[in-house]
Amino acid sequence: MRPVQLALLYLRLNVMNEVQYRANFFIAAFQSLLSVGVGLAVLALVYSHTTTLNGWTESELLVIVGVQILLSGVIHATIQPNMERLVDEVRDGKLDFALTKPEDAQLLISLRELRLWQTVDVISGAIVVGVGIARLHNSIGVGHAFGFLALLLLGALLLYCFWLILATGSFWVVNMWFLADLFEGVYQTGRWPIGIYPGWLRYSMTYLVPIGFAVTVPAQALTNRLHWTTVVVAVCFGGALTAFTRWFWQFGLRRYSGASA
Amino acid sequence: MRTAAAYAPRVPGVVHVSHLTKVFRVPEREGGMTAALRSLFKRQWREVRAVDDISFDIEAGEVVGFLGPNGAGKTTTLKMLSGLLYPTSGDGHVLGHVPSKRERDYLRRMTLVMGNRNQLQWDLPALDSFELNRAIYRLPREDFRRTRDELIDLLDIGDLVRKPVRQLSLGERMKVEVVGSLLHLPQVLFLDEPTIGLDVTMQRRLRAFVAEYNERYGATVLLTSHYMADVEALCKRVIVIHHGRILFDGQLDDLADSFSTTKTIEALLEDGERVSLSVPRAEISQATAKLLAEHDVLDLTIEDPPIEDVIEQVFATEATA
Repeated sequence: MRPVQLALLYLRLNVMNEVQYRANFFIAAFQSLLSVGVGLAVLALVYSHTTTLNGWTESELLVIVGVQILLSGVIHATIQPNMERLVDEVRDGKLDFALTKPEDAQLLISLRELRLWQTVDVISGAIVVGVGIARLHNSIGVGHAFGFLALLLLGALLLYCFWLILATGSFWVVNMWFLADLFEGVYQTGRWPIGIYPGWLRYSMTYLVPIGFAVTVPAQALTNRLHWTTVVVAVCFGGALTAFTRWFWQFGLRRYSGASA
Repeated sequence: MRTAAAYAPRVPGVVHVSHLTKVFRVPEREGGMTAALRSLFKRQWREVRAVDDISFDIEAGEVVGFLGPNGAGKTTTLKMLSGLLYPTSGDGHVLGHVPSKRERDYLRRMTLVMGNRNQLQWDLPALDSFELNRAIYRLPREDFRRTRDELIDLLDIGDLVRKPVRQLSLGERMKVEVVGSLLHLPQVLFLDEPTIGLDVTMQRRLRAFVAEYNERYGATVLLTSHYMADVEALCKRVIVIHHGRILFDGQLDDLADSFSTTKTIEALLEDGERVSLSVPRAEISQATAKLLAEHDVLDLTIEDPPIEDVIEQVFATEATA
C-alpha cells in the first residue's frame, strides 16, 4: 500500500526530527491537561444545574468531550501542520518541489508533516472516552467498538477534507493565515452534542464544517444511540466529500502559478 | 561505471518547444490609500506576456545556457517544461511527454534545481532526505546506494551529508541539494541559477560537477545563470531571451558576431606601452594594418569583447529598439 508506505516513511523522518525537541513534549502535555481540565470543569458546571442535556447524561457527554479532544489531537498532529505547510509553500513557491516528484501530489502534501508531541491529545482524549464508557455501566459490544473506530476514522477523513478544501483556497487567496484560528473557533462547538444547536447551525455544523459527523456520530456509536440511517448518510457524505475534495484540489492545482522568481 | 548509453538513448529532440506562450494576469493599481481602497471593489488587471511565442529544440546530451535579465521569462519557461505551469498556448514536449500532464514516467526522468530554494529536511542530515527520495522515486536499494556514493564522491561531500542541513554553509547546502536532486539519475536537468550566491571556488566546483554528470550520463541540461562564467564553462549553445522572446539561439561563439558591433585590438608596442582599441568590425583589417604600419608592434591580439559586455549590449539595443 503506497500511502501507508509513504506515511511510515515520513513518520520516521518526523520522529527523528521531533525527538530533538523534547521540551515540546512537556508543552504539549501541559496544553493537553489544560484542555481536558477545562472541558471537565465546564461539563461539571453544566450538569450541576441539570441531569440531561438534549437527552445526553453527563457520562455520555464525557464520551463526546473525549472524542473531541482525541480528534483535535489528530488534527493538530497531522492535518493542520500539513495544511499550513501547503499554504506557506503556495506563497513562497516551494510547492514546486512536491509537484515535480513522481508521486501523487495530494498524497505527498498530506503526509509530509507530523507533530509527534501533539499526539498526547489523542491519548488523553482516549482516556476521557474510556472514563465516560466506564461510568455508563452498559457493556460495549465488539460491533460497537469497531463501529466507533470506523466512524472515528471517517470523522478524521471528513475533517481532513474540510481542511484541504480551505487550504486549496490559497491557490486563489494567497494569504490564508487566518485558517487555523477560524477552524479552532468553530471546532470548539463540537464539545456539545450537535442536537443542542438550532436547525440552521446544526446543518452547517454537519455538512459545511463536518464537526457533527466527526465528533457526535462516533460518540453515538458508543452510547447506543446510533441509527443505521446516520451511518449510511455519514458514509455517503464522506465519499462525496472525498471525491469533491480531490476534484477541487486538482482544480486549484491548475491555478497554481508558483511564486514567480 | 555504467555507460551513458544506458541512461540516455540518443534520440533527437529531447526538448521540443513550439510557439510556447504564457500570459499572466496580474492585479494592478496605483500607490496610495485611495487606490488601495478602490482596488478592494474593482480590480484592474494587466496581462503580462512572460513567455511570448518561443520555439526551440534541444538534442540529447546538449548543455544549453538560457540567458536573459531578471523577468525575461527564463524561470517561467523552465517551470512550464517541468510541468509546474500550464502554457497559455503553444506546445512543449520533453522526452516525448507533455510536462503539464505531470506523468510519473516523465517526472522520474527529470529534475528541477532552483538555486535559491532548498528541499532537504532542515534539521536532519542530508542522508535521511536522500533516503526519502529513494522511496519517492522507488529506486532499488542497490542502485540507489551506488549512485549516491558515486555522486557524493564526485562532489567530495562525504562528511557533509552526515551533518544536519541547517549547519551547512550556503555552498555546502547547494552541493548536497544537487546530489539529492540527481539520485534518480534524471536524463533532463533544469537548473535555475544553481550557483547563485556561491563563492567562486564553489561555483567552479559545481560547474565541473554538472559537466561531469552530463558527460557520464549523457544527460540533457538547460541552465539559467547570471554568471557568464557558468555559461562559458558549460554551454556551447545559448538561447538569449528578453521580454519573453528569443533574441538569439545558437553557438556561444557566434553570439558576439551577431550582436557585437566592435572587436577589441590589444597591442604591445616596442616601447613597452600597451594599447587597447575598440574598433567597429568592418574596419578591423584597416585598423590593424594602420597600427602595424605606424608602430613597432611586438604582440597583437584581436578579440571579441567579453561576453558580459555583448549580452549587456544585446539587452540595451532591445530596450531602445
